[in-house]
This record gives sequence, structure tokens and C-alpha cells, in this order.
Amino acid sequence: VAGGRRVKDVLRELDILPETVLVIRGDELITADQVVRDADTIELRPVMSGGAS
Amino acid sequence: MKCRKCGESAVLELRRHNAAFCAPDFLDFFRNQVREAIRKYRMLEKDEHVLVAVSGGKDSLALWDVLIDEGYTTTGLYLDLGIFDYSIESRAKCETFAAARGVPLIVRSVAEEVGAPVPVIKDVTRRPPCSGCGLSKRYLMNRVALDHGIGVVATGHNLDDEAATLFGSITHWHTDALARQSPALPSTHAKLARRVKPLYRLSERETAAYAFVRKIDYIVEECPFAKGATSIAHKETLSRMEDASPGAKHNFLFGFLEKGRAAFERAEAVELRECVRCGQVTTGTVCAFCKLADQVKRAK
Repeated sequence: VAGGRRVKDVLRELDILPETVLVIRGDELITADQVVRDADTIELRPVMSGGAS
Repeated sequence: MKCRKCGESAVLELRRHNAAFCAPDFLDFFRNQVREAIRKYRMLEKDEHVLVAVSGGKDSLALWDVLIDEGYTTTGLYLDLGIFDYSIESRAKCETFAAARGVPLIVRSVAEEVGAPVPVIKDVTRRPPCSGCGLSKRYLMNRVALDHGIGVVATGHNLDDEAATLFGSITHWHTDALARQSPALPSTHAKLARRVKPLYRLSERETAAYAFVRKIDYIVEECPFAKGATSIAHKETLSRMEDASPGAKHNFLFGFLEKGRAAFERAEAVELRECVRCGQVTTGTVCAFCKLADQVKRAK
């Protein structure tokens, strides 16, 4: 996806709810208002775990 | 975004609290929520030995980490479910965690205790895998606690888990389950350990963030059987509600605990006795675990 935008815009384009992922850049968490540049690599790590009887 | 407490750059926004925190202040927030949970429900005595049920995932390892930091004497319990690579990897995460912190870890195998691993139990019972798995886990957690003279079992259930369980129980009006759902279940029989959920005030995003900030090496990959589980569908529904209205999940769960639960509890008193086969606590003559083990044996 294209950079130069805020995390929240990237998440919206990917149709991911912000509450369902951690956004990781390098070894840090970043908030949804941070701007990601084209050269950045960010990891969107799902937080949902499941399975229950 | 700035940290609500110190004004430094924030790493995590918590919309339901209308707040954002830097890493150190987030850890403080997290620990305070655990302390509040323990205080409010009188979950643990300060010098008490706690059996912490760990899966290798973010929630249970975060819980173990906090309880160690808070000064509790802990022993971990890992139940090997026999779910292929997932179980091998998750067990390794627990062993690494325990070794690094110098805390004891007990390992029990469902295949040995029940007679078959979870994938086989699923085929034999023709029920969803989480059904036989959950039953076996609850039974073995209690039995291991008793065998080791530990009076309380702590599990890593978080706010999302509890809200999803509540949603499922209400959808089907399982009034017996509604009566039992609580962050702290007392011992109602000499052979039943107390069960507590000190993370019930924290969302799964918060437990994931805690594990990340604390550099806890947990298994990110999900149990292969969780895919398609109804609890996941419930979580997705609740997450959409939460997105539209931050705090919705919190209000749903906490409202039930504070205003709804007592009514179900009054209506659903059950008589407890001991299983004629294994001696563990049941409401019937033979407990569900022994019936499951019989079913597995017959199928062999």
C-alpha cells in the first residue's frame, strides 16, 4: 500500500478495525495518527485469539 | 498523540478510556488494572501460591509475567493438547519463559490423560474441537491444582474473551452458564480450586501490547482449530460494535457483572457430588471427563 499517510488511513484502506491489531514499526508500537512513509515497513499484528467451548 | 500522564510520545491509544500512553505509563496502567481486578474480587492473598494456566499465547504469558512481578509465588501449568506444530511451538514458548524467569512449569499431556490428543477427541466425539479441549483443560487444571495443594488457578481470559462468552451465552440464553460467568469463581467443594481471571479488565489488544512492550516471546499464530469457532464470530461482532462506540464491550461485560449476574446465580443452584470413577467434582454420577475418556477408549 502507498505510504505518506497516517496509520489510520492505511488501516481503513485494508478494511482493518484499529482495535483488532497492534501496529509495529521497527521495535516500537505506533499510534493510528502516525504517518508512515513509503520506505517504512510496518507490521499489523492481529490480537484476536479464540476458541472456547 | 501524547501520553496522558507524562506528555511524551504515545505508543498506544485506548479509545475506550479516551487515553493514550507511552510505554512505561502503559505498563503502569496495565498493572493497575490487574491490581484492581484482584482487589475488587478478592482473587488472591498476597502470599498465596497460584497455579497459572499457560498456553504460550500473549494473554497467559502476560498474566504470568504480571503475577511474578507483583510478588506472587507462581507455578505454571502447560497442557499439551497434541495439536501438531502449534502445540510443539507453544510448549517451547512456555518452557523458555519459565526458564528465563526461574519459575516452575508443570506439563501434562491431554493424550496421556484422556487417551487421545484433541484432534482425535474431535473426531471421536463429532463435536467442535474446542468442546472436548475446554472440558479437558478445566478438569486437568483443577486436578493438578489439587494434586499440588494449590488452592487457586489463574487463567489469562481477557475482557474480549469474557464479553464473547457472555454474548454467546445470551444468544442461546444459557442461564446456567450466565450464573457461572465471573472473574472469580469461589471453591464450592473441598475438591474444587478457586478460579480467577485477573486480566478480565483488559482487552486483548492491551494484553498483546503488554506482551510486546515487555518483550515476551509468545506464539502469535492461532490454534488451527480456532478458525471458524463461534467465539471468534462473536468477537468480530463485538469488535464492530466497539469500533462504532468505544467502550461498548466494557459496558456490556461490566454491566452484566454488576447488575445482571446475581439474578441468574440465584436461579441456578446445583448440587455437587464426587464422580464415582475418578472422585473429582461433578453434578452427575460419572463426570464429563470420565465419559469423554470412555468414548475415546471405545473408539480405539
